[in-house]
Amino acid sequence: MTRVTVKTTINHRKYELAPDPNQTLLDILREELGLTGTKRGCEIGQCGACTVLIDGRAANSCLVLAPQIDGKEILTVEGLASDGRLHPLQESFMDHDAVHCGFCTPGMLMSAKDLLDHAPHPSEEEIRVGISGNLCRCTGYVQIVDAIHDAAERLGKKERIEN
Amino acid sequence: MKPFDYIQAPSITDACIAAAEHSPAKFLAGGTDLLIELRRGNGNYPRSVVDISFLHELRGIEATPDGLIRIGPLTTHSELSSSALLRKNASFLSSAASTIGSPQIRNRGTVGGNVMNSAACADTVPPLIALGASVTLQSVEGRRTITLSDFFIGPYKNIARGDELLTSISFSPLPSVCRSSFVKLGRRNALSISRLSVAAVLGYDRDGRIADARIVPGSAFPVWRRAREAEQMLLGEEPSDKLFTAAGKRVSEAMVSYTGRRWSTEYKEAVITILVRRALEMCGRG
Repeated sequence: MTRVTVKTTINHRKYELAPDPNQTLLDILREELGLTGTKRGCEIGQCGACTVLIDGRAANSCLVLAPQIDGKEILTVEGLASDGRLHPLQESFMDHDAVHCGFCTPGMLMSAKDLLDHAPHPSEEEIRVGISGNLCRCTGYVQIVDAIHDAAERLGKKERIEN
Repeated sequence: MKPFDYIQAPSITDACIAAAEHSPAKFLAGGTDLLIELRRGNGNYPRSVVDISFLHELRGIEATPDGLIRIGPLTTHSELSSSALLRKNASFLSSAASTIGSPQIRNRGTVGGNVMNSAACADTVPPLIALGASVTLQSVEGRRTITLSDFFIGPYKNIARGDELLTSISFSPLPSVCRSSFVKLGRRNALSISRLSVAAVLGYDRDGRIADARIVPGSAFPVWRRAREAEQMLLGEEPSDKLFTAAGKRVSEAMVSYTGRRWSTEYKEAVITILVRRALEMCGRG
């Protein structure tokens, strides 16, 4: 098994990596780059704890072979904050107590980011569908749905001010 | 994951050559089934993985000059769900794709993978069978096109050889007088695998009588097939609850006669009757 060369952008930074082809994107993030915000859960694409964005769309990083990210842009929870400020989703997750044990939170945030990037004013049903690939065993989802709803409003307000 | 040779194919031809030279090979598209298989590591572990996920020519949905709809096998379930062309010409295929897995799975999983994996619960297959879709397979030996109803031979089994690459799925658009639907019963709402599903099409003549009827249940027969017995009884009739329930019962009887009685039959035979009725109701004129 020969190593392959992978050129990729992770959290806005360019990388040239040489993974073993049987490593997953999740392995690379956690073991090679120390980006342990992305969690290793079920490893069969059911729990969503390992969710990251690939070219802006949510994906289970446990189901992506490392060579497949060649030329792609990856965003993990570590890349959500910018200029030392938390992303509105992160702020509203804290304000709504949408984090209990915290294991599902990075994946939840990334699914929510994909949702709000593509549907800035989601209904409650759309939010529930948006996070339907992320399991949480603590919160009962209510606070998480509230937090995403609130983040959508904060982002809308921010956009209006900036314009 | 056990080791394997990884080959990134820069073209369809290269993918076919790699699969022939490094046999047994597995093609990697969205990876949502293959990675789970590789991690499990049992069964026929491949010597090589041929990555076709970078082949843009295998992606996308288009209307061809000869009046067909052509879907590239790397088109994701998310893309099927949001395609205006499909919503107009085969809306139940979009609906079926939107029920698969989770957003993360739909963003990666592909229609080609769904077809080639050939699970009895593959949700894009019942609509594709109802559409009379054909698949084109390519290998170093050439190309062949087969209708999907001749393609599957059993659960997780189809007639494609290991070195044959699916390069196209095509079908005639539904006539504008037709309505289509897809209903699915899973054990839960999200990330659910079909316990039973039904894809249905009804077309009407000028007098409002049924002139085209297609019913394809999923997870019901050992090999996918149209429920011709039930379709026949709908033709020439006016739509009614009684008729749709009778058609559902006919599908249920056919299912039992093909599969025999198993532990789940008592449940499935009642439920498929209702799912067929619901699917047909959703194809009502409107």
